[in-house]
Order: sequence, then C-alpha cells, then structure tokens
Amino acid sequence: MTPGTRATPPGGDPGQEARAGGRGGDLRQSSDAFRGRAGGNRPGVPSRGTSPDAPAGPAAPGGRPAPAGRRTPAGRPAHLLHRLLPPDRRAPDGGSTTAHDLAVRHRLLLALSALLTLSLFLSYEGVHGDANPLRTSSAPAVLSLDTALYALGQAQRDAGATAPTSDFQKQISVAAQSLAAAAGDDVGGPAGRQALQTVAGLITVYAVKVQQAQLQPADSVLREAYLSYATSVLTDEGSGIQARLKALQGQQRAAVHRQTSFGPLLWLGWTTTLLLALALGAALLETQLFLRRRFRRRYNRGLLAAGALLAAGLAATLLFTVWTHQGMADTRALLDRPLTGRLITDAGQHTASYLAHTGFRASAAVWILIGGILLMALAETGLRQHIDDYRFRTR
Amino acid sequence: MSAPQGGPATPAAAPRARRVRTLTVVASCLVLLAAAVVFAVRALGQEPTVTLLANWTGTDERNFRESVIEPFERKYHIHVDYQGSSAESQVLGADVEAGTPPDVVVLTGPGELADYARQGQLKPLDDLVPRAGFGASWTTPLDGHVYWFPLKADLKSIVWYPAGTSERQRAEAAGRPGRWCVGMGSGATSGWPGTDWIEDILLQQYGPGTYQRWARGELPWTSKEVRSAWTTWGRLVGAGGDRELVRRALKTPYQDASKPVTGNPRGCTLEHQASFIRNQESWKRADGRYEPSARRIPGARASDAWEVSGDLVALLHDTPEARTLIRHLASAGAQRAWNAEESGFSVSPGAQPAPSDAGAAWHRSLAATLLDDRAVHCFDASDAMPPSVRDAFAEAAIEFLAHPDHLNALLTSLDTLSRTQGLTWVPSVCDRAP
Repeated sequence: MTPGTRATPPGGDPGQEARAGGRGGDLRQSSDAFRGRAGGNRPGVPSRGTSPDAPAGPAAPGGRPAPAGRRTPAGRPAHLLHRLLPPDRRAPDGGSTTAHDLAVRHRLLLALSALLTLSLFLSYEGVHGDANPLRTSSAPAVLSLDTALYALGQAQRDAGATAPTSDFQKQISVAAQSLAAAAGDDVGGPAGRQALQTVAGLITVYAVKVQQAQLQPADSVLREAYLSYATSVLTDEGSGIQARLKALQGQQRAAVHRQTSFGPLLWLGWTTTLLLALALGAALLETQLFLRRRFRRRYNRGLLAAGALLAAGLAATLLFTVWTHQGMADTRALLDRPLTGRLITDAGQHTASYLAHTGFRASAAVWILIGGILLMALAETGLRQHIDDYRFRTR
Repeated sequence: MSAPQGGPATPAAAPRARRVRTLTVVASCLVLLAAAVVFAVRALGQEPTVTLLANWTGTDERNFRESVIEPFERKYHIHVDYQGSSAESQVLGADVEAGTPPDVVVLTGPGELADYARQGQLKPLDDLVPRAGFGASWTTPLDGHVYWFPLKADLKSIVWYPAGTSERQRAEAAGRPGRWCVGMGSGATSGWPGTDWIEDILLQQYGPGTYQRWARGELPWTSKEVRSAWTTWGRLVGAGGDRELVRRALKTPYQDASKPVTGNPRGCTLEHQASFIRNQESWKRADGRYEPSARRIPGARASDAWEVSGDLVALLHDTPEARTLIRHLASAGAQRAWNAEESGFSVSPGAQPAPSDAGAAWHRSLAATLLDDRAVHCFDASDAMPPSVRDAFAEAAIEFLAHPDHLNALLTSLDTLSRTQGLTWVPSVCDRAP
C-alpha cells in the first residue's frame, strides 16, 4: 500500500490503532483515538477489537468481514440497523471505511430527526389543533343551543298563562342571550350566523304572537288563533325555531365529532411518528456503539443527550396528547345527547374541567420544532468532531 | 494529498450515499407535497359564498334549490347560503339594523323594497336586468332606477274547486260560508289570506282605478268602497258567525285549508287562493280547477282585472358573487327552470315554454293570463303598502274574522296609521289603470 493513498487517518483505523497502541506502535494517532483511549478505554481494560475493519472474526463470503452487529453487545438493534443500511465494505485497497460510516450515520441521524420532528409536529397539531376551537367555540355553542331550546320549551309551557308573565319574558330573554352567545362562538361560520339571525327574528315574532294571545279573553277564538300562530312559528317542521336550532345543533355536534375523532390520518401520523422515534432511538444507540468500537469512547455526550431529549420529548408529547384526547372524548360523550335544565349548567362546568389546560398543551407544539432543532444540533455536535478529523487530516 | 472525504471511500459507497440523499429528499418532498395537498384542498373547499334570504320554505324551497340554486352553484362554483322564513321581514329588518344584511333578498312586497330603497339599502339593478325582460308594473322604477325584478309571479284573483264540480254546485257553495276553504295561519305573516280576499273583492267590485288609489294611500280605509270589500268578505266566509267555523278558519294554516276538499264527505269546496296553492297535495288529489274569482264575488263589475303577486329580487350587498347571482336569477334559463317546477310562474316573455311543450292545461292557462296584454294586472295591494300598514292590515283581517263588529275601529286605526308621515308608497300597482 502506498502511503498517502489510504483513505484512513494516520495511524489507521482506530481498531488498528488500538492494536498498534497495544503493541506500542505508531503514535500518529488521531486525536479521537487518543480521546478514545483516555475517555472510553480505561487503563487496564483491553480493547475488544470488534471493529468490522479488524481482521478478527469470521469473514463474509468474498472476503468481506461479517457485520459487526452480530458480534457486539448491542445485538439486535444494531443488527436491524445494519439490515436497513448497506453493509460496510472495506475499501478496495483494504483501507478503513470509518469516514464513510460516520458520514452515513451523520446523515441518517439528521434525516431521522428532521422527519420525526415534522411527523411529530403534524400529528401533535392534528390532535391539539382542534382542542382550542372545541374549548372556545364548538362545545360552548352546543350548550348555548341546548340552553336556547330548553328556554323556548319552558316559554311555550308558560305561553298558555292567562296573562303575560315574567317567567315567559325571562325564558325569552334567556333564549335570546343564548343565541347571542352562540353567535359569539361563531356557530357554523357565516351561514350559521345568518341562520341564528333568522332564529332571532322568529323568536321575536313568537314572543309577540304569545303576547297577543295573552291579551285576549281566556276563552276567545282569537286567543287560540294567536297561540296557534306562535306555536307554528316555534314548532313548524323544517322552518320552525326548534327545527332550525336543532339543525344548527346537529352541525355543531358534527363539528365536535370531527374535532374529537382520532381518524385514520391521525393513526397514520402517530404510527409513523412512533416508528420514526424507534428508528431514531435505534440509530442513536447503534451510533453510540459504533463510536465506542471505533474510538474507544464509552459515551458520546451529544448522542446521549439527544437520546435523552428524544425519550423525554416523546414521553411528554404522548402524555399531553393522551390527556387532551381523553378530555376531548369526554366532552364529546357529554355533548352527544340533548341536555336540559340543570344538566346544561353541569355540562358547562364539566366541559370546562375536561378541556382545562388544553390551550397550554396545544401551545407546546412550537417546542416540538425547537426540540427537533436541538436534537439535530446534539447529533451534529456528537459526530462533528469525528467527521472533521477524517475530513481534513492529510497524510 | 488530502484524504478523500468520508463518503466516497469506495466506488460502491457513492451510489449508497446518493441513495440515502435521494431518499431523504424524496421523503421531504412527499411531506411537503402532502402538506400542500391538504392546504390546497382546504383552500378549494372555501368557495365564494353569496347569502340569499327569501320566504320560501318546504316544497317551494326544495323546488327553488333544485331548479335554480343548484344549477347556479354548479355553473359558477359559488355557494349560495339560502335562508327561508315566513318571518322574512322581521329577519331582514334585524339584519339591516345590525349592519349584516344578506347579499340578495327575495321579498313579496314592493312596498317594503321601496322603503329599503329610500333608505339607500338597495343597489340599483339597471345594468343587471334586461330592460325589456319584464313589464313595467313588475319592475317599477323608483327615483329613475330599477331596484327589483320578479323571479316568481302568481295569479290571485282565482277560485279553486275540485274537478267535476258543476257551475250550479259552485254557485251554491259560494253562498255558504262553510263551503269555503279558509286558512289564515301563516306563522309570522298570519292573516295575509284575508287581505288577499279583501283586495280582490275591492278590485272586482270597483275596478283597477279605485284599487290603485287605495294601494297608493289615496283612498281612505273608511271609504264606502273599502268598507264594502270588508263586509262582502265577512259575509262570504261567515265572519263572527259559527264559532267552530271561525275557529277553523283562524287556526288553519293556509297551506292546509284545502285538506277537507279530499275528505268524504267533502269538508269544503271552494278556495280563494293564489295559483301556487295548486301544488298542495290536496288540490293535486282533487285535480283542482280554477275560475276567475269575479264569478263568485258578489257585485263584481271589473272586466278582466287580475290581482297578482310576485317574489321580487333585490340586491343589498354589491359583491361580484351577488351580481352573478342576480344576473342568473334574471336570466331566461333560471326563470324557465322555475316556471317548469310549477311552484310559480315567470313573467319574463323569454322564459315561457314553447306552446308545444307538455304541461297541465291549468298551468298553461294561468301563465297565459299573467302575460295577457289585454288584461289589467294589479299588484297585491298589501304587499305594495308600507310594511307597517301591511302588517296592521293582516292583523285587522284576523280580528275582523272573529269580531266583525270591530270593523269601524279597525278601519279608523288603519287610516290613522296610513297617514303617518314618512311612509313610502309605491306610485303604481296596476299595469293599466284609468
């Protein structure tokens, strides 16, 4: 082999370095090699010499060394990763592949980190992005419409009174205020707003007709007539107040279902996220083991920190998502049936408690992006020094 | 010589590195593409919308949606947010006051539209509606501008009866209040069937000239002519008479008034109602026929005078989508489609079906009467009156039916209301009046 043509650092492969060091050979080792010895290979602990570049071990057919994973303590994850990646191949001239191995792992870690960040962000947003509209709009709107329907039912009960009653007026006020609240919750967008205005106009007509009836003598046909007009304004199939409110409520309940459902896209997103997280975890572990073999470093702080960040971030986002989704599912179960009277107030309180802190958890989405950048930075930091040593060293 | 970089250590490593790089780029592109697709689908889902408020509900609403709205949405990719309500006036009033009126409105009353036009709420339609498309009485200019045009028209001076009812039977039935099918109920606008009766009686007894003076607020409610119309109606339908009959007339929704026609024995025989009522199931089953109301109204002297009504389209919010919808509604195609549904008639000459087109005889005959140049067509007077007078008129009709002895008080009250300053009266309601 001609000196200067090998694609290995001076001193050769760290595995070889270890052997050379053991023999008191070439001292032109790379700084990594020195650090490897100093930090990872404690004095008195013999090198295991398990590098794929090392001549030891059964050779694969064609003279290629067997995959290191089969013989490392890392065992299965490393083996799986080796199956995912093309096996190391020695340079045709028999030189080291360390620089290439480092580059592959570097790119893999960065790509996996980027994909995981994107996938986690989209999946997280898919669940938490709906929590805010559910808490501030859809759920209150359903309850407002329930309140309006209940109040109008009570008003109709009071409409038969012989004289105008304060109870009737109160129920009409409650219904009108509930509609205003529903409009404030932006029920159904512009179409919903128009529908609510129509209902508000009809409630006014209803109240006027009832008052006209109550001003007539108790047994007069006019009283009956005005009450029948009022009742038709309230109950007409399709065009009455109740039918319109129920239609709006149906739309809102459908919106609640949409917002709280964990559909196929979300399943796909979270499955992809978890697979990517597993792959990244395995890649981090394999890289850690690879560095240990090649550079005699027991631990790479950057990679360890990246692993810890991955585990902690994933656990936190999963926990947040489970909590939020549970709250949303409970809200849907609560709002899925028509509510009346006191149950509406209770439902309002329960909904508020189910959806408490969902806003905070939803706002945590930005930390996924920050965490992803940090993860990539840690992976980069962990490998950069080794890569630079191989890139710029001349021989 | 510097050492080669980590990647191309071997010839086989280069394609491998490229493969990894390619995979990364492809994966990223796929993610971006997916995001772009999601975004594009959402963006496309938000098609422009135009809001439309009208008074059609039930069958009329369904017919309108199917024959007019859905083709428009398919052709122009503009979503029409339709709201139909009998309380249309109240809803529109509230919307306008709140500053959020619908883009387009279809109202029955030119009086109400004239009021909104004077308030500056309506946008002129001069460049949107073909000038030769509709008769002058249908697109009454106001201050030199056209603010509305008819989408649907109906003939009101008619009496319906079941097929097979002889002339003698009809004449006999007309003299017995219990044989008239009457229904005053119509939710927020209850009472209007009574106003139609009174208007038509006035038109048939005293002619278009008197009718128009009254509709313009020039003939007092307490005048002999108007009072005669009220009392004639009271006698025909038995106002203040049999309590059960009055209760039935007051409480029955107008669309259900003809239900007894199909009973056995028949509960009623004649119905004074506009042409659209023929679409009710009971008149379909009874194979309803019609005759001019002048034949059944005592003292009718007018010749070929017809009370008509129309659902008039106006523009409140001038957006490109709303203008597109206005053009579509004024087009012969949309008017013809609506005409074909038999929920109403078009008075656009270009929208009439060919004589050879199949269609019910009654439908063709009514359409011909609506367009007959020799006949006098007078717009529904209450619809042409200011909204406050119109509503009080309907309320008065309800009260009169139960208490005809209150007539003086009711007419005096209406006169007082009509003299209120600031009301907008339509200048003309008949296409030919002496």
